[in-house]
Amino acid sequence: MASLASKAFLFLGRTNVCGLRLKESTNRVAYATALSVNTSSGNKDRNGRGPLGRRPKRDPEEPRTEKMQVDQDWTAVYPTATSFRPNSVPLPVRMGYPVKGGVPPEKKGNLELIKIPNFLHLTPAAIKKHCEALKPFCTEWPSALDSDAKCDEHFPVKVESTDYVSAGPSIRNPSARIVHLRVKLSSLNLDDHARKKMLKLVGERYCKDTDILTITTDSCPLRQQNYNYAMYLLTVLYHESWKIEAWESEKTVADMEEYSWENSPSQKNILDVLLRMKVAGEEDSEEVQEQLLGRQDVQEYKNSVTRLKNEENESSMLQYKEAVKKLLSL
Amino acid sequence: MAASIALRRELFSLARILRESLHRGPRSLTASSSSTTCSITRFLLPLTPSTSFQTASWLSSTPSTFSTQITVTKEPDTLFQKVGILVKGHDKAVLDSYESFATMAAKELGITINKISEPPRDIERFTLLKSIHIFKKHRAQYEMRTHYRHIQLSHITGCTTQVYLEYIQRNLPEGVAMEVTKTAIEKVPDHILEPMWKDHPTDSKPSQ
Repeated sequence: MASLASKAFLFLGRTNVCGLRLKESTNRVAYATALSVNTSSGNKDRNGRGPLGRRPKRDPEEPRTEKMQVDQDWTAVYPTATSFRPNSVPLPVRMGYPVKGGVPPEKKGNLELIKIPNFLHLTPAAIKKHCEALKPFCTEWPSALDSDAKCDEHFPVKVESTDYVSAGPSIRNPSARIVHLRVKLSSLNLDDHARKKMLKLVGERYCKDTDILTITTDSCPLRQQNYNYAMYLLTVLYHESWKIEAWESEKTVADMEEYSWENSPSQKNILDVLLRMKVAGEEDSEEVQEQLLGRQDVQEYKNSVTRLKNEENESSMLQYKEAVKKLLSL
Repeated sequence: MAASIALRRELFSLARILRESLHRGPRSLTASSSSTTCSITRFLLPLTPSTSFQTASWLSSTPSTFSTQITVTKEPDTLFQKVGILVKGHDKAVLDSYESFATMAAKELGITINKISEPPRDIERFTLLKSIHIFKKHRAQYEMRTHYRHIQLSHITGCTTQVYLEYIQRNLPEGVAMEVTKTAIEKVPDHILEPMWKDHPTDSKPSQ
């Protein structure tokens, strides 16, 4: 804003003043004061101009860089982003493709230096000044949350969104409305049934390795609306997963997420084998079954089979082999 | 004594200005008050009478040339676990300078920089016909090179992010674009702490 105002002043200065050459100073406001110099008006009223009515060409004065002090305040020379002015920058900069057997062209009249964005207004001194002015508006991070683990513990819900800054016909970017909501299911209050139901409801949005549920919303046009929608979805999922519907009791073995050994074909097979191994002709098969189930090697077998069915590993295969050997006393 | 009287007079004038502005332009006030914490309000429109005492005392203590007030609202500040700034440009030297500027500014403001990385550049090339009609064998090839720079900040509050990002973005050079990815952390909302069916154990609602 300061630069715009100063440019306006310069413009005014140029129109008001005639014969007074303005130097390239941004903050100096040059208003015309002395205008009425009445030279000899005998010559056809040319206002002191040459034979063709043109202003006499003045010799350019020495560049301002010669008059600059070494310890001057550079932030006053380049307070805002402006194009490169060779007479204001006291540096022997050269830029461009060198002439054959020569050096890159000098800074005077060099278009390459004007084209490229310069950071002359952002010297360390200027940055320090700016940050001193900005410091009162900043707040401190709470010292108790120094590690990521503590952040996750106290603030498990993470909301991610992106802002876009670019030049173009419009400053809006439609991708800025997308909101990602990430929660670890372990931080929510869910019991066993609720957790399984939640996983079934959510499907692909859950990652098993990191136990993170990701809800991505982009159906609303504004980010605030998408965020509200994501929170609404989380709430609905949570409450729905705690509900037990009447038809959930018809859950079959095919719907189960993990393998459970009770009332499975494996249990029946083992019991049959063990019964036949024992002396035939014993009644009270229920008591015998319970006895058999209570045996330690049967328990081991049960553990190994569940482990094998849930995860296929080398170690689980070995465990299964050991359990079978013990059971059948091989 | 005189100072306190002066303060009170300022208070009354501020309150009067506030009332007038409320009658005339409620929209401008709501716009500034609905923004998140640490809104920087101009001198003529203070936010609320309750905070004007703080602001008046700030004014009398520091003779500021810009005449801005810092208002402190009761809204809790947002916390960002990670803020990732991806800067894209055609010239690597410009991005280098910008990165040094951004890191210096972050250090001055006391922001922790996690990592500064340089993702590999992208080159988009395409081949067009040189002539408007025929001459298929003569073509012109163009390419656009995009260089990237990624700065990751961590453990930064909402107020500080606003201040820092506005400063960074106002000084973004020409021809450079920026994407900011913010990860805010929040507590589990109150309505998710307990399931609402606990008061109604038997669910007799018909399933949809």
